[in-house]
Amino acid sequence: MSYAYLFKYIIIGDTGVGKSCLLLQFTDKRFQPVHDLTIGVEFGARMITIDSKQIKLQIWDTAGQEAFRSITRSYYRGAAGALLVYDITRRETFNHLTTWLDDARQHSNSNMVIMLIGNKSDLESRREVKKEEGEAFAREHGLVFMETSAKTAANVEEAFINTAKEIYEKIQEGVFDINNEANGIKIGPQHSPTNPSLPGAGGAGGSQGSGCC
Amino acid sequence: MDTSDSEHFESADEFHSDSESSEDTGDKSVLDNLDNDLEKRLGNLNIDENLGNISAKQSENSVSNNASILGDIEGNRTNEIKVKNDYKDNPIIPKRITDININSLVETQVADTPNQDVLVNRRLVDQDIPAQNRTEKQHKSECEIVTLKKHSTESSSEKANDDQSQESETENMWDNNEWEPISIDNVNPSVGKNIKTVSLPEKTIEENLWENDDWEPIENKGDDSDDTWQKEEWDPIENKIAVSSQAKDTSNDTTWGGWSTWGVSSILSTATHSVSTLTNQVSQGLSNVLENSMGIPNPEELAKQHLNEEEKICGILENVEQNSAVEEDSKDKNYNGFGFGNLSNFVSGVSNLTKFVEHTGNKVINGGLDTLETIGKKTMEVLQEGDPGLKNKRAFLKLDQDKPVLSQVLKEAKAKAEEENRALQQKNISKKLNYESLFDDYHGLVHLEALEMLSKQCDIKLESLSGACAGDALKEILETLEQVRELCELPDEDDEDQSTLEEIEEKIESALKEINIKITYDKGISTWKEAENWLNSLQLDICDDTEIHQKALQVLAQLTAIAVEQFHKAGELLLIKEHRSTADEADSLVLLTTALTSLIGFAAGKFSEKLNARASGTLNKEKINDLITNVFFEFLHDFTGSQQQFIYTRCISTIDTCTSSRCCINKITMKMSFYYTTSRFSSEICFRFKHLIIVL
Repeated sequence: MSYAYLFKYIIIGDTGVGKSCLLLQFTDKRFQPVHDLTIGVEFGARMITIDSKQIKLQIWDTAGQEAFRSITRSYYRGAAGALLVYDITRRETFNHLTTWLDDARQHSNSNMVIMLIGNKSDLESRREVKKEEGEAFAREHGLVFMETSAKTAANVEEAFINTAKEIYEKIQEGVFDINNEANGIKIGPQHSPTNPSLPGAGGAGGSQGSGCC
Repeated sequence: MDTSDSEHFESADEFHSDSESSEDTGDKSVLDNLDNDLEKRLGNLNIDENLGNISAKQSENSVSNNASILGDIEGNRTNEIKVKNDYKDNPIIPKRITDININSLVETQVADTPNQDVLVNRRLVDQDIPAQNRTEKQHKSECEIVTLKKHSTESSSEKANDDQSQESETENMWDNNEWEPISIDNVNPSVGKNIKTVSLPEKTIEENLWENDDWEPIENKGDDSDDTWQKEEWDPIENKIAVSSQAKDTSNDTTWGGWSTWGVSSILSTATHSVSTLTNQVSQGLSNVLENSMGIPNPEELAKQHLNEEEKICGILENVEQNSAVEEDSKDKNYNGFGFGNLSNFVSGVSNLTKFVEHTGNKVINGGLDTLETIGKKTMEVLQEGDPGLKNKRAFLKLDQDKPVLSQVLKEAKAKAEEENRALQQKNISKKLNYESLFDDYHGLVHLEALEMLSKQCDIKLESLSGACAGDALKEILETLEQVRELCELPDEDDEDQSTLEEIEEKIESALKEINIKITYDKGISTWKEAENWLNSLQLDICDDTEIHQKALQVLAQLTAIAVEQFHKAGELLLIKEHRSTADEADSLVLLTTALTSLIGFAAGKFSEKLNARASGTLNKEKINDLITNVFFEFLHDFTGSQQQFIYTRCISTIDTCTSSRCCINKITMKMSFYYTTSRFSSEICFRFKHLIIVL
């Protein structure tokens, strides 16, 4: 329950690229072949450990439909990390990356870590976007790149955790001002609200947070 | 020396007779008797008689002595003290008695039969001599030794010593090489090697001593007189051998006492000295043994003793030297005057032996103490080596400070751990009871946050819109906003609507129909149904208040989170809705809000019911439950109200009307904070009351 940091992630990308499936795979470790269209935004959360610190990833899984674009844009704010997802079996999703990237860059803080993810790597036979293309795009825009499969869970964990690691490194480097929640980073709860006599658990997150400042 | 020796002799004789008559009598009387006996004996030296008497007495005495010794051993601190005092009183007496001596003495004492030296030794070995009866023990041991020696001599058949001449006896004994080994073996089984190393004349002496078994009392009595004797010869004697030899010497002296006419006075004197020293040593040794073996109390005392012992040792050594000189003189005399070359040799040998024994004994004692001392010094050195001066002191001080603290630290750590455990338990409970975290777990908070973000976005839009308008347009916008606000006005919480679940469901459905968006509250309803089942299956007598309360919190949090989520969804959907009807949407939203509120209130009421039934005895509990219920109720009202306003604002914004969405947002945040505080407050109160109930 208690955590040192909370990182806010957003998952963006065209509809149907598997954003919600990635989230489900990461949080529930399961794959749901048929998924309802996401309305607005859905949420997922999971605790991970980096550098022996408990970090809570709060993932905002946005709707990819164009209709929700205006709404989802308002959710970009305050995200520390973004997973920009495209479908390797659908080139148009790759082609729209620039738009997504611009949107994300425009509506979020400049330090947001963006990971480019080519999903559905299990469908190699239907691949339309080469891995090299994804790598090139990522290199060009300063993103981290990874091909994943929400179905086989390949690289799913790595995608989320590597992003968190990068964020964590930025925190250590002082790039992120963790006291500014607009950066998408929250320090763990200092105290459980019902327990004023709880220096133990609450103090852990607090001390860790202060140590990073 | 001569005079003293003669005196000793006399006393020794007296002692003999006395001892024969009664050993149990006090030491003083014994001493007096000894003196008398010695004199008598000196006058009439019937060795045979003496021997016979002695043997008989010895056997008896030894038995009695043993018994008494045992008794004494078992518990006389007083005796020990007395012994010590005696030692102190005797300046001449070198007080060094080795443990070995003591042991040997005791062993010898224990052994009744003379021939069973081996057995005696075994006993000695086996038995840690409590040796509390310094004098008695000494006496006994000496007596025993004497008896033993006698027996051995007798067995060897050499002992038939005629009155004719003690010299002949002694000579015979010495001459009898056979005897030497026997006596040695018998006498000093424990001492063993030392005895072997002892010269032959010593053996003969020992034999003589045995013959003088009767002398036991002498030794006892002789604390005073014997001391002087012993001092000469016995100073050195610390080992059993020494004791035995001393006993022998004394015996010799006594026998010789009769020979005093021959001018063996010097020998006698040496013998007496040796005896006295022996007794002293024995007593000291006993005391040492006692102190050492029986849980020695104070190291300080030990140190003092050590010092005293060292002094004593010095004195002993000096005495030994003197004695040796005296002995040599006496030997010379003997040689010259009486031609007792053997005797003198014997004496010298005895003295040597005793010296040797004493030295070894001293070495043992001193060595042990020195070893301890050196170990301590070494330790200190090592400790101080790398850290001289102040550092060292500091370190020691710190150590001293730390030592007492250590236990305290442990205690404190334990207390701390317990406290932490308690805190952890509390934390776990409170965590479970923490509505906020539960609400967060159901993503209620995130949805709220997202909703707030949406609201902000819309607010910005509205502001820009209203800013673009002016004059009548602005007026119009404000009017519209006011109308919308009225539309969204939630009916004041009319508590009359304790509607059933079905009614609530109907309400929700109709509301959703009106709003015409794809949201569903099935989730909330199913959640409540689950909770209701749980409540119905609940067995009040088994379950615990905390459980119910926890469940209540969980269900309520879940319901609220679902409500928030649906409001959030509704807001999102309304925002992207293409054809909108503000009035309808507002109506449906109001309806929806009231329905959800009543649902949550319904659930809260059910839980409160259960809790009240459970805790009907405690008014406070009820109050708390009501409080909780009210809190959630109110929260939901406020929340939904602001929510509706917000959503309404959205709707209006799409139709280009200005609205006070900011106010709504502010209201939301205010409500949020209110909610937080109330929830915290309520859960904390519940927690405390739970504890109260537990205590009660």
